[in-house]
Amino acid sequence: MNATAIDTMVIKALEGHKLSIARLISIFEDARADAPTRRRAVLAAFDQRQTRRAKFIGITGTPGAGKSSLIGELALRLIAQDPRARVAVLAIDPSSHISGGALLGDRTRTNFPVGEGRLYFRSQASDLELGGVSRTTFPVCRVLDRLFDYVFVETVGIGQSEIEIQQVADFVFLVLTPLGGDQIQFLKAGIMEVPDAIVLNKCDAVEEARRSYHALRGSLSLSRPDDDERVRIFQTSVTHDIGIDDVTRFILSLERDPLGRSMHRKERYFFEKWARDEFGRTGLRFLGHCGGPAHYLAASDFETAQVAFRGDVAKDVGTFITGG
Amino acid sequence: MSDPSSKPERKAHLLYDKEGNPTSDRPWIFRTYAGHSSARASNELYLSNLQTGQTGLSIAFDLATQCGYSSDHPIARPEVGKVGVPINSLDDFHTLFKDIPLEKMNTSMTINGTSMWLLALYVALARERGVDESLLRGTTQNDLVKEYLARGTYIFPPDAHFRIIAEMYEYSLERIPNWNASNICSYHLQEAGATPVQELSFALATAMEVLDLIKTRGHFNDEQFEMVVGRISFFVNAGIRFIEEMCKMRAFSELWEEVTRDRYGVTNPRYRTFRYGVQVNSLGLTENQPENNAWRILIETFGVTLSRNARCRALQLPAWNEALSLPRPWDQQWSLRLQQILAYETDLLDYPDIFDGSKVIQSKVDELKSLALAEVDKIRGMGGVGAAIESGYMKSSLVRSMSERVSRIASDELTVVGVNRWTEGLPSPLMGGDDGGVFKIETNAANEAFETLAATRASRDSARVEAALAALTKAAENGDNMMEASIECALARVTTGEWADCLRAIFGEYRPVTGIDGQKLLLENDRVEALRARVNAFIAKHGHRPRVVVGKPGLDGHSNGAEVIAVSARHVGFDVIYSGIRLTVQEIVASAIEENADVIGISILSGSHVELGQQVMDALTKEDAADAIPVVIGGIIPQSDFEALRAMGVRDIFTPSDYSLTDVMDRMLTVVEENAEK
Repeated sequence: MNATAIDTMVIKALEGHKLSIARLISIFEDARADAPTRRRAVLAAFDQRQTRRAKFIGITGTPGAGKSSLIGELALRLIAQDPRARVAVLAIDPSSHISGGALLGDRTRTNFPVGEGRLYFRSQASDLELGGVSRTTFPVCRVLDRLFDYVFVETVGIGQSEIEIQQVADFVFLVLTPLGGDQIQFLKAGIMEVPDAIVLNKCDAVEEARRSYHALRGSLSLSRPDDDERVRIFQTSVTHDIGIDDVTRFILSLERDPLGRSMHRKERYFFEKWARDEFGRTGLRFLGHCGGPAHYLAASDFETAQVAFRGDVAKDVGTFITGG
Repeated sequence: MSDPSSKPERKAHLLYDKEGNPTSDRPWIFRTYAGHSSARASNELYLSNLQTGQTGLSIAFDLATQCGYSSDHPIARPEVGKVGVPINSLDDFHTLFKDIPLEKMNTSMTINGTSMWLLALYVALARERGVDESLLRGTTQNDLVKEYLARGTYIFPPDAHFRIIAEMYEYSLERIPNWNASNICSYHLQEAGATPVQELSFALATAMEVLDLIKTRGHFNDEQFEMVVGRISFFVNAGIRFIEEMCKMRAFSELWEEVTRDRYGVTNPRYRTFRYGVQVNSLGLTENQPENNAWRILIETFGVTLSRNARCRALQLPAWNEALSLPRPWDQQWSLRLQQILAYETDLLDYPDIFDGSKVIQSKVDELKSLALAEVDKIRGMGGVGAAIESGYMKSSLVRSMSERVSRIASDELTVVGVNRWTEGLPSPLMGGDDGGVFKIETNAANEAFETLAATRASRDSARVEAALAALTKAAENGDNMMEASIECALARVTTGEWADCLRAIFGEYRPVTGIDGQKLLLENDRVEALRARVNAFIAKHGHRPRVVVGKPGLDGHSNGAEVIAVSARHVGFDVIYSGIRLTVQEIVASAIEENADVIGISILSGSHVELGQQVMDALTKEDAADAIPVVIGGIIPQSDFEALRAMGVRDIFTPSDYSLTDVMDRMLTVVEENAEK
């Protein structure tokens, strides 16, 4: 794929052409060794133009909590209230341990109207990654960043160790249902430390919702005594249209990167993660030895830094290991 | 009056009437599931079937009617008149039943999501003809559980459909006492892969759910409630393992007797009788050597006729060529002749139950009963059928049974003659003739429906229509019985789509779980390993795992094929996007584009593959993706349509003869590889 082809694709993607967007995303998922060159070309093409910058909203929570339909409803309201906005959903689903294949996002639960050019839905397989997101989630966010105003990242939702969403998203919602039995497990698992806000979804029964709200407040004050007041709890019901507008307004009012998780910080985190995936623990120590992600990312973009580090590994890791 | 005790000793092998004279049984009701093209064409078919000795009507409706759409709705258009007759308004019912005396007919309607509407039309027809509606006899199928699980013509969420069923019982018992308001169908569960135990338990749990609801609503006193229990009838399947199937029927009878007596306290034995109709199995009918299906149908018939204590009340048989296309009238006649020979030429009906006292049979029956009861307890423990549908438990169980079945055929553990053994054979002369042995629908059949619909809309009193729909809305919102309001809608010439839309606005539309999550195939062999290796080679070469969008466009809800393909594709290492049934072509194509899919696999069993295939290709072209994303199609597709599909750009076609999932995956992966190389 040459630079002109990439340029054309970028122009069309910025106009909202879906097949072009789909192909750009694939470039950022591409696992081949020469893919970083193409990614660099894509980002360069974006840099020459006026592009959007996205707010990344993380959505985590157990299966059955209604994450997908909540996202669907929020997305529709966002584009209704902000006529220029474009919204993407990136949903991550678990892969099979045996075959590696995955059953991907039930897109229909979002109820997106067909032909709505401002909404986009993409699924990713977890590829056996722990942490709730896929190896390619962050790379894909880098391209979605330029094409959309709001990006929802929906985690696998197995309820355990979904901590990585904090590193991808600017703001994380934990979606729960009132008094779910799994909730107790959640509290133990320490996931209460992840969310920046909580959505108590499927609040169809008032009394149950009220009780759950207070139970949650209680456990927040125990698990996060320092900042439990900061964590808002929204009570919603998609079917009965309760509280959805509150959450929508809240998202609209969010500043870009409200909690200071800058793209630079994310890049550093995922650079380190990438180095470990590629070169193991030794590679990670070598990275520290060389000055850490900050050293490589200070002067260059993510892809160039990857190429540079790969070169250093090839050149010097041997001496590093033997202690030379 | 003679004293029976003075008669000579009774012989165990003879049947005796009330007077103690030897007698024989009356045969069951012979039915043929029929209806196609238009109300006029179907009426001609019924009149001719009644002449050939059929004794009841079994009406097949097209998918638009079943799913609550008028014929001219975009999602309905490709389906009009395909698998049954299109009914848009009372005008169509007048045509459909022309010259057929309603008061003498026993009419069975295979209708579920719109059952209340079709019953309302039938009552309205009687009223306009001046027939006393209390004389109407027949059945509306009206079992939504198997629609959510296997057949797909539900509209509303479970609560709303259960309410409709209960209201129909309440109306029927008072106004049309010989009407079976619903009919618990395990038939479709077996078609979706259910084991005999699943068939027994799911059907019983469903019947109990209906009865519990009716009881809770408190509309009936105890005496009336007994009568309602007496009106519960069943529609079951009979497969090729006919001894087990016969035992299943005996188990059904015994379990129903026990449940109605012990759980519902029914004192009158008449109301505890297990009454059932049958259609024998179509799932096991093969496209390869289709003439063999004639024997399969005969053998399957034995399972539901041999045992007198568990003999069906009504029987309809599929035709030998059902895996190829819808049956022609001759094919149906051939199946009807089988029933007539069995009932009238043989001595079957002269004997009491010939299995009474058999230790072997009783032991098998007991085993089925105890396994079924355990499963019923499990479902009720989850909160009942409604909860087990919403949680996906029942659907997942069925998908698992089906996956196991196809795995066993693929690994030759399960013998299917002509499919995985004795596959070489002489060509069948049955496949000759101008039509190639298959049924062709009149291509302009839909036009007749469109014209009648337009005429109805033009001639009706719109004020009366609006008032009728407003009254229906009010009844639905207030929790009143919606039957009478629906009958007024029928009389006012409200259309099928308008009736359903009116209730959709109140109850909402439902989308159940697909049931394929977490499923796996029991298929591990060298070829599967080889395919996974090819998938890995593809990943290395193209930088991503191959992605397939599996889609079921339109109204056809027979999702087994699509589910098995989705599960298989994941099994060999594809990333799979499958969102269940009743999607528009545009939704499927949008998925494929946004997901940057490597192939789209479309499954169509309703006979609309040419129209829907073209729609998919057009939608892809419109999005500049016709070259980017190849399309393959699977379903009941006659050879004669292959050329048309290939000409529009479909890359590969799969039919029931492609029973080997490994082969299907192999070919699908080849399409993906070739396209990626371009």
